[in-house]
Amino acid sequence: MSGPSVLAAALQDVLIEPAPGFEVPSIDWAGIAPNLILMLGSILLLTVVSVLKRRVPSWFAPVWTISAAVAAGCAVVPLWQRFADTGPETLVGGAVGLDGFSLFATVVVCIAVVFVALLLADYLPRESLESPEWYVLVLLSASGAVTMASADDLIVLFVGLEILSVAAYVMTAMHRRRVTSQEAGLKYFVLGAFSSAFLLYGIALTYGATGSTNLAEIQAFLAGDVVTQNALLLGGLAFMLVGLGFKVGAVPFHSWAPDVYQGAPTPISGYMAGAVKLGAFAALLRVFVVAFGPAYRQEWQPLVAVLAVLSLVVGAFAAISQTNVKRMLAYSSINHAGFILLGVLAASAAGTESALFYLLAYTFMAAGSFAVVTVVGRTGEHRQSLEDYRGLASVRPGLALVFTVLLLSQAGVPLTVGFLAKLYVVTAAVESGFDWVAVVAMLTAVVSAFMYLRIVATMYFADAPEGAPALRIPAATGVALGLSVVGVLLLGIVPGPVSDWANEAVAQLVVAAP
Amino acid sequence: MRVEVFTFLVAGAICVGGALGVVLFRNPVHNALSLVATLFGVAVLFIAQEAYFLAAIQVIVYAGAIVILFLFVIMLLGVDQAEAIERDPFRLRRTITVLGGAVLLAGSVAILLAAGQRTTGREAATAPLDPAVPDVERLGRAIFTDYVFAFEITALLLTVAVVGAVVLTRRSTGTPIDLEEFPDGSAYDVWVSDHPGALVDEDTADADADADGEDGSGDDATDTGDADGQDDESADSEVTS
Amino acid sequence: MELIWLIPAFPVLGFVLLAALGRRIGDPGAGALGTLAVVGSFAASVAVALTLAQEPEGSRQVTQTLWAWIPADSFQVSFGLLADELSLMMCLFITGVGALIHVYAIGYMKGDPDYARFFTYLNLFIASMLLLVLGDNLILTFLGWEGVGACSYLLISFWFTEPANASAGKKAFVTNRIGDFGYMLGTFLVFVTFGTIDYLQIDQAAPGVSAGTATAIALLFFLAATGKSAQLPLFVWLPDAMAGPTPVSALIHAATMVTSGVFLLTRLSPILEAAGWANDLIAWVGAITALLAAGAAVAQNDIKKVLAYSTVSQLGFMFIAIGSQNYVGALFHMITHAFFKALLFLGAGAVIYSMAHEQDMRRYGQLRRYLPVTFATMFIGWLAISGIPPFSGFWSKDEILAGSFQVQPAGQLLWVAGIIAAVLTAFYMTRLMLMTFAGGTEQWRTPAAESLPEVPGDDHTDDHTDAHAGAHDDHHAHHLTPEHNPKDAPVIMLAPLVILAVFAALAGLLNLPFADQLHFLDHWVEPVLEGQSGLPSAAVQWGLALVSIVGALLGVWFSWRVYQQHRVDRAKLEQPVLAHAWYIDDSYARVAGGPGEAAFQGLADFDHEVVDGAVRGVGGVTQQAGEAVRGIQTGFVRSYAFGIGIGAVALVLFAVVRMSL
Repeated sequence: MSGPSVLAAALQDVLIEPAPGFEVPSIDWAGIAPNLILMLGSILLLTVVSVLKRRVPSWFAPVWTISAAVAAGCAVVPLWQRFADTGPETLVGGAVGLDGFSLFATVVVCIAVVFVALLLADYLPRESLESPEWYVLVLLSASGAVTMASADDLIVLFVGLEILSVAAYVMTAMHRRRVTSQEAGLKYFVLGAFSSAFLLYGIALTYGATGSTNLAEIQAFLAGDVVTQNALLLGGLAFMLVGLGFKVGAVPFHSWAPDVYQGAPTPISGYMAGAVKLGAFAALLRVFVVAFGPAYRQEWQPLVAVLAVLSLVVGAFAAISQTNVKRMLAYSSINHAGFILLGVLAASAAGTESALFYLLAYTFMAAGSFAVVTVVGRTGEHRQSLEDYRGLASVRPGLALVFTVLLLSQAGVPLTVGFLAKLYVVTAAVESGFDWVAVVAMLTAVVSAFMYLRIVATMYFADAPEGAPALRIPAATGVALGLSVVGVLLLGIVPGPVSDWANEAVAQLVVAAP
Repeated sequence: MRVEVFTFLVAGAICVGGALGVVLFRNPVHNALSLVATLFGVAVLFIAQEAYFLAAIQVIVYAGAIVILFLFVIMLLGVDQAEAIERDPFRLRRTITVLGGAVLLAGSVAILLAAGQRTTGREAATAPLDPAVPDVERLGRAIFTDYVFAFEITALLLTVAVVGAVVLTRRSTGTPIDLEEFPDGSAYDVWVSDHPGALVDEDTADADADADGEDGSGDDATDTGDADGQDDESADSEVTS
Repeated sequence: MELIWLIPAFPVLGFVLLAALGRRIGDPGAGALGTLAVVGSFAASVAVALTLAQEPEGSRQVTQTLWAWIPADSFQVSFGLLADELSLMMCLFITGVGALIHVYAIGYMKGDPDYARFFTYLNLFIASMLLLVLGDNLILTFLGWEGVGACSYLLISFWFTEPANASAGKKAFVTNRIGDFGYMLGTFLVFVTFGTIDYLQIDQAAPGVSAGTATAIALLFFLAATGKSAQLPLFVWLPDAMAGPTPVSALIHAATMVTSGVFLLTRLSPILEAAGWANDLIAWVGAITALLAAGAAVAQNDIKKVLAYSTVSQLGFMFIAIGSQNYVGALFHMITHAFFKALLFLGAGAVIYSMAHEQDMRRYGQLRRYLPVTFATMFIGWLAISGIPPFSGFWSKDEILAGSFQVQPAGQLLWVAGIIAAVLTAFYMTRLMLMTFAGGTEQWRTPAAESLPEVPGDDHTDDHTDAHAGAHDDHHAHHLTPEHNPKDAPVIMLAPLVILAVFAALAGLLNLPFADQLHFLDHWVEPVLEGQSGLPSAAVQWGLALVSIVGALLGVWFSWRVYQQHRVDRAKLEQPVLAHAWYIDDSYARVAGGPGEAAFQGLADFDHEVVDGAVRGVGGVTQQAGEAVRGIQTGFVRSYAFGIGIGAVALVLFAVVRMSL
């Protein structure tokens, strides 16, 4: 026997051969391919740029990021086929779900990554902040979001949430020359840690009540056994709702959102509205609807209903009184969170489907809207006030039109995707018997339309102030704007394929409401 | 009284006392040392449950490494004097906070008590563990079977933390560009305080722009136990008065 | 039949082309293109209507589904166009009148720097309006409903370049939003009740619905209609909307958009039939609006404002008809009104055009000598609106009044209110004609014209006209000098006037009451309508008609005494309360600006109130608190954490309450 083969055999003994009675779970690498692509993409990017340093051209990182996101999106296709053929599976020892829900969410995260990479590609040079770490963190946080969306285990979910959140804290504070950015980052970090503690405590209580952190096992346990004492379980639900409610920006856990959205670099604000919200909602849906849905729906639905109503009302009314556009969009994101909570509240297949669709829609709307804010803000992002949008229609008619479409979509005007998204969640809530919440939702939609149309009116009916600076729309930002508008209109006019897809995505995952 | 109960009560008291010390002491060094007490108490609890390995890790990693790191930072930054923490001027909010905390505590205790003898729903999980299997092995099994994915992606979390730490501590490439929002320039201290900052709702935005300018030294940002002092309206009046 | 989609497609195409190329085509190419699009749409409407007419009665309903818009299982909405008698009738007069107004606008807007943009909006408006009437479900109609609202908003503010003057557009927007609440909730209730929002399916299911539900639905949609069709209490936006260019006033705020509320209720007539007292409410709101608005019109001095209040009043008549379940009457009056009011507005526009954009009638007088064609056409319009037979307005108004007479309960009272409104109509229209075209002197030549006092309550309008003049090019500026010699507008503006005059005179032929064969309109729309109530017997009708003719003549005569012969001091009639439109608008403004604003501000501050307000409210003295925190570094992070903590406490308490012991 030659030396190398002996070595190989020895290595095999040491590394591969497990101890007796020790069954290592098989890892289905293909099954977690999208997530792996995002992870490896970020690590490779980090390695490459730290080795080559300045020799890396400036276009490399954004192109790499977009490629990774697109590749991850493409990797979903064969998995979708597999899901369609064999139904939902759980991989890596029951930790990761391979199901339509997670695949759909993965695609949405990839879309958000493409948007933010396009925007950052222009934003960073403008602000003299160019460094590849932004893209590394974007990809890492995307991986965290995907992990959350596909988590079949509460611990995995928590780690995913931390990956996503810590990356978001850092990116929020990463505009090193804006004090507000750092202030926002700090606030986000402190409050985020505070809420994570609640989530963790909730997970612990849930584990105590059910003896498992695995969502499928929890569901099975609750389906098979009637707990004689539900205190732990209810406590766990309540605390987990605090933690996840914070991440989705639901009232009364929303207070960070306006400050963070305003202070964060604008492309990152858009990314948070898309990917971070998606991750948190996906987790909320998996935990509450999937694991606790069938048996414990009645226990948490009142809580979620209250959160939804508060978010809807506070988001809509507080947005009106703002004059800073980023802050307006932040409050509007709270209002949107209220709408998505309707989908959660429904605790049905239709509800989950509608929430997914809403998240997809909101990713487009938020990315586009914050792209406009990025452009108008100019270097240093000094121009965030509503005043700075006066007469935008005469300065940059195209930009004003794009923003108008996006705002109308957020307001829920028919023929835009925002309308359908709102319609779906409201319908789902009604079908589950939450008529009154649906009515509140519709009324707040009308209220928040004031705010959106106020921006539109400012752009169109006010004079541009003397010496209004010319606004440059760089190429990549232009592409992002175009994509978002096309997405908003296309999905609004012909939503069939996508909503069917969302429908199939949840068909076999969630137990339908009776 | 059984030994377990006695141990639990003592260790629990150390934990709680340490936690209170973290919150209540004014000197950061004392805060850090209180944290050691808490972590140590937890380690004792682990020992009481025969999780010796975890107890050792707890002491070595947390008390030995992390808190020492904290202390280094505190010493190097030279903030090892008592912070000027004022009491919350709003007595009502202070009261509400204390009451709220009490209710939260009472609620949690009620939940735990109500759960009664069987704190875990599943029989298997409450069954006594096989003493023949060492706890290191049990831990290893859990980590490399059920929790292998969570364990592995923790690496990602660490990567994020490292990248973030490096990025945020890197020297800034220029002067701050939104200082006009902070008229007297000292607002950079917002970074180490929980200053209201520039990020507040409109109705007070003007006032806050001024308020931001005021001296920026502040209390520890993570000090959430102490109630907050100022609402936006009062910021208004503070400036106008 | 497959051509239905062409009807809205033409103006959509026009809109797209104008939006893309408008600036390049410029003046007058853009106008011609816009007009062509509407004419094409009109041709398509005619073609479809002719095909439809060949079908046997009762099967004249064609739905063309363009694509499945919302394919969800439980809630399917298709992007479908429903061509039936009602929608095609609407299409015909929208595109017909619309085309004429487009032609007129080619002349009126000449030289405007935003010429192309104007036609872009106008085409978008026509497209939205067509979608509103052609949509085969409530959501599609809502799309059109919002579209016309947006266009109206855009066009009202067309000349607004000063922020202070955006208030008219804003007011239109706010009141319409209130109406939208009604529409959305109504749609929601329909969906919950019937499980569908498709008109044809609603029609089938409607008879089985309970009276309470039907009443609720009817009231919600009526709220929507009061917003769009300017009825009490939401009519306040329409008079202010006159700040827009005159063709817009004619097209949107007289002929088409404001009638969409009437259309909507007619579309939902199967539900209204079961709606019980909601019908009475509709009729009475209509009657009171008709009366109040006619009263207000008496004291206006701005020629467009007279017509605006007149429109509100005439719309009130249509709602009387709806409420008395006389849908044919409402549609009939909608059509005749579209003709004569468009005519009057365009005529007024021609006068304004000739008088260097002066809108104050007190600066007119004796214009018939200078503007013979305008005068002749407006004269016909005047006869029509005043209800003088055989002009069209008489027939339609008479049918409404006859229908109202036999409503139970208190139909006679309704009729009396209608007659009074009709007399007032004749009075104020005669006043308008006399002040403009007759009167003793050419007022703008008298020195007094320079120093006319501002009419109380008219300050809004004046602001608007000034702003529009100031911000606009000199073509639209005020410089009415004593030497001004008015002359008729160019042919391109007069031709639509003449055509409309012909229709205003003859449109009564659509539904003459004499014999059953002459009820063309009745027969045409009958299959669409549910619960159309009959009219009183012929003898009663004759009697009522006689009264209304006498009433109209009385109004004309009295007006003649006041404004031509000056036998009565006009100041006694034109009370400030009328000029202020009964102070309704002002009181809204006061409420909205005072307690309303405060309440709104309170809600807007809600977010802060929750966390900090409690402290402030109970702790009292903010000032002291401010003093107390002076010099202390405090931050909001804790405030936020406080909010989160309180939320957590609430959730945990809920868990504790719910746990089983």
